[in-house]
Amino acid sequence: MSAVVEHEVVAEREVMTEREVMDRPILDPALAPPFPVAALPLLRNLQLRKNVAHAIDVIQAKRARLVAEKPDWQALRSAASRIRDEALQDLGAYLEQFEARCTAAGGTVHWALDAADARKIILKILREEKADEVIKIKTMTSAEIQLNPFLEANGVRTYETDLAEIILQLGEGEPSHIVVPALHVNRGQVREIFARRMGIENLSDEPEALTAAARNYLRQKFLSVPTAISGANFLIAETGSVVVVESEGNGRMCLTLPRTMITLAGIEKVLPRFADLEVMLQLLARSATGERMNPYTSLWTGVTPGDGPQKFHVVLLDNGRSSILGRKTERQTLRCIRCAACMNTCPVYRQTGGHAYGSVYPGPIGAILTPQLEQMRHAQSLPFASSLCGACYEVCPVKINIPEVLLELRARVTDQERKQALRFFDPLYLGLRAANLIFSRAWLFHAAQRMGRIALRLFTREDGWIHALPGIGAKWTQTRDLRGLPDQTFHEWWEKNRDRGNKGPREKGRKRTSDRGNKGADGQ
Amino acid sequence: MSESSSREAILDRIRAASGGGQNPAVTAEEAAQRFGRLPRDYQVRGELTVRACQELFMERLREYDAKVVECAPEELGATIAAQIEASGRRRFIAASGDPNAWLVTAAWQITGFECDIDHGLTVTEIEQAEGVITACFCGVADSGTIALHHSATEGRRVITLLPDWHLCIVRASQIVETLPEYFDRCKQPPPELVTWISGPSATADIEMTRIKGVHGPRFLNVIVVNDREQGPGTK
Amino acid sequence: MRASLFITCYNDTLFPETGRAVLRLLERLGVEVEFRRGQTCCGQMHANTGFRGEAFSQAKRLVKLYADAEVVVIPSSSCVAMIRDQYSGLFEELGDEALRKEFAALVPRVHELSEFLVDKLGVDDVGAYFPHRVTYHASCHGLRALQLGDRPFRLLNKVRGLGFVPLENLDRCCGFGGTFSVKNAEVSSAMLAVKLEDVLRTGTEFCTALDNSCLMHLGGALHRQNAGMKTIHMAQILASTEDHPVELMG
Repeated sequence: MSAVVEHEVVAEREVMTEREVMDRPILDPALAPPFPVAALPLLRNLQLRKNVAHAIDVIQAKRARLVAEKPDWQALRSAASRIRDEALQDLGAYLEQFEARCTAAGGTVHWALDAADARKIILKILREEKADEVIKIKTMTSAEIQLNPFLEANGVRTYETDLAEIILQLGEGEPSHIVVPALHVNRGQVREIFARRMGIENLSDEPEALTAAARNYLRQKFLSVPTAISGANFLIAETGSVVVVESEGNGRMCLTLPRTMITLAGIEKVLPRFADLEVMLQLLARSATGERMNPYTSLWTGVTPGDGPQKFHVVLLDNGRSSILGRKTERQTLRCIRCAACMNTCPVYRQTGGHAYGSVYPGPIGAILTPQLEQMRHAQSLPFASSLCGACYEVCPVKINIPEVLLELRARVTDQERKQALRFFDPLYLGLRAANLIFSRAWLFHAAQRMGRIALRLFTREDGWIHALPGIGAKWTQTRDLRGLPDQTFHEWWEKNRDRGNKGPREKGRKRTSDRGNKGADGQ
Repeated sequence: MSESSSREAILDRIRAASGGGQNPAVTAEEAAQRFGRLPRDYQVRGELTVRACQELFMERLREYDAKVVECAPEELGATIAAQIEASGRRRFIAASGDPNAWLVTAAWQITGFECDIDHGLTVTEIEQAEGVITACFCGVADSGTIALHHSATEGRRVITLLPDWHLCIVRASQIVETLPEYFDRCKQPPPELVTWISGPSATADIEMTRIKGVHGPRFLNVIVVNDREQGPGTK
Repeated sequence: MRASLFITCYNDTLFPETGRAVLRLLERLGVEVEFRRGQTCCGQMHANTGFRGEAFSQAKRLVKLYADAEVVVIPSSSCVAMIRDQYSGLFEELGDEALRKEFAALVPRVHELSEFLVDKLGVDDVGAYFPHRVTYHASCHGLRALQLGDRPFRLLNKVRGLGFVPLENLDRCCGFGGTFSVKNAEVSSAMLAVKLEDVLRTGTEFCTALDNSCLMHLGGALHRQNAGMKTIHMAQILASTEDHPVELMG
């Protein structure tokens, strides 16, 4: 088992103001406030909620239509799940195979233990290339390692080329979704950002005009910047190839025109064989954007003389992934192909958007991936940021049982937290300990019910309902009434009216159930 | 930490994470065997007739606003000429492989158009072209995909990237129905360089409004050459 | 057939009328019902908050209590889901072989109410009369974990006098989620508000479901808002007849 760093206590954050959260959401799990705290100002932002709901409803509807027309959808999910499990089963061997093939084809493969290691490796390559600018294809992995600020601080200008990433980079915003990172921004906001940062007068807010502005803005960059950084949707072990899936064409620009290409990829991205793509690519676009196939998918292997970058580097990133591999239930987290179908369907995400999760990986997958990448030292509130409805599991193309992993992580967080002295007095912990004791004996349970009934009478109004409770109960009564406890529990009623050897009272005109023979029931 | 020690550390962690149960280097044969044992309940073979499959392919492309026409093999030159003329463009580049014979034929039929064959054009020259003409490796009907493996007849990646108008010649015999059928055609050995095109570039990043033509050719034109025997019931 | 009623901790305390309705309904259908006094809780609350050890001890207790029951009927999908989906994991982690075997023998005999009616008794017409307009809320456990499918609809369909109006966005979670409703109260309330839009739009008198947990959450807000709609467990609808109309409390 890999070494697990001991859990540290993270102090409760102060409530952030709405302004603070909207201006500079914190997506560093080590610094982000707990989910309920981060969510509150976002819930109050009606424009945000509207933007998010609109975006995910559109994708969900498109996805649903395409899934309905595909009779072998479930068979594809099963195959994809198995393929991903096979890759994880022999991950070391497949990574070594990828390395050998990629190297033989003229690429250079680097291995990065963690975020700092990866940043150092990338900077070193850039220095060797004397690069003071890079163009980038959208990759959440680079956001995970906080690459851009690091490069900027070291004298390398970074230019995002994906439209959403440009919106965020120029607007100094943070991604809130892994496929459509700027879905929380509406056209008026984009117009403002572009007009200001690109220096365009009289820019309309029509999406066509905004997109054209981005196209013009980037053209020269594509043609002149000799170094590019990408992520990878898949790494193919059999051939040493890299696969990038996209819609806009900025990816193709970045991986074709420059002289030097650097691909940063999590170690879990590897697929065993080229042919595995026949399954994965049928699932990915349908799940991610609700299309049968995304406009452009590129595959390249090392270096091809005369075509594309003549220097190619792959940086394989661990950063906590190997620690997930060792855990029986949690391992399935690594199957993820970053389609975002889970967050598109999540009723919690729909209300809060991505920034509440304090991570570049939000939504259901973020709730299980982020704390694990942090080796359970941070983001402990995320596994609880779910009502366990299971909608995510239904849509996941690789069948990650996200609720199962959430429950496992809740147990791990609780195991750590309950060891801490201060948790002993946490009302929730106290309550659950008490409840367990109460449930262990029927007489204790019954006594507690009687006591509870008496105590709650204090709060029960004339109409028989409770409108306000103190302490933790206030969290319920903020928005809901609670019906007062009935005068008799069910078991008390049973004892009074029925407990005569379990025979029901005679009903007028009807025989006792035991005399009835087969009446009613179907002969059982 | 030095890179080689990072590498060892990561591989050690991975090994330890599987409880030491990880197989030593999986061979290609083993991997292929495992793939063979994988339950393939998903659709592999297409079910449509050849003609229906071709029509599906063309329909899918048209859904993406690609312009699609068909022609008989002997009409190819003329069809290309017609497409070029209709485009209103004058400067083209073409892949260097065989079918540039088409262009020679076509050239007789229209005046005033220039075509440079890509024998090492510079990026500036490519950037100045208004259109590009290539062949392809395969077309997949189900997803409306054109697969370029960048052979000589398909051209280097840059030539189908920079010009705004792409004319792609697809032979009917290159069209398959399903993605697995395409993969079946290029398994041994797998291709090293691939671009799958399934429509013009697009983004939905602004309020989910789909805008086409961000980067890459905004106009895709396809000529399907009916180069195979097609009885009505042919599968 | 002798069915053992596991009322669930929260129904026992908060919704005894649901228990009485299950009793009346099953007896009317010729089922003998017993009630084991030792019952408390299935352990779901503890399992879902990460208190595994505690959940295990409650699970063990339940299995021991019902080991010799012919059949166990539970008017709560989430509790049945707990037993079906989480018990074996708990027993594997913390239990022994004997306990696992006992559980494996018991689990096929555990049924959610609508499953029991439709699958075991083979009925969808339970002879009910409920002359009101009703909409049905599909709790997530019932919908996804138990795959109840059309069982609830088949049962409601046969209730005489009932005017059924379907709920839009049926598969969207109401936001209760157990302790989620308290730990993430604000998000839970936001989800609730969205759900209530759909519920109120049906223009019905009652919102019913197979889980009082969701109904407590929905009903609590409906009451707070004086919305003029009530919630009611489906058992009470199904138990209702001309002679014995539904027992409504509160």
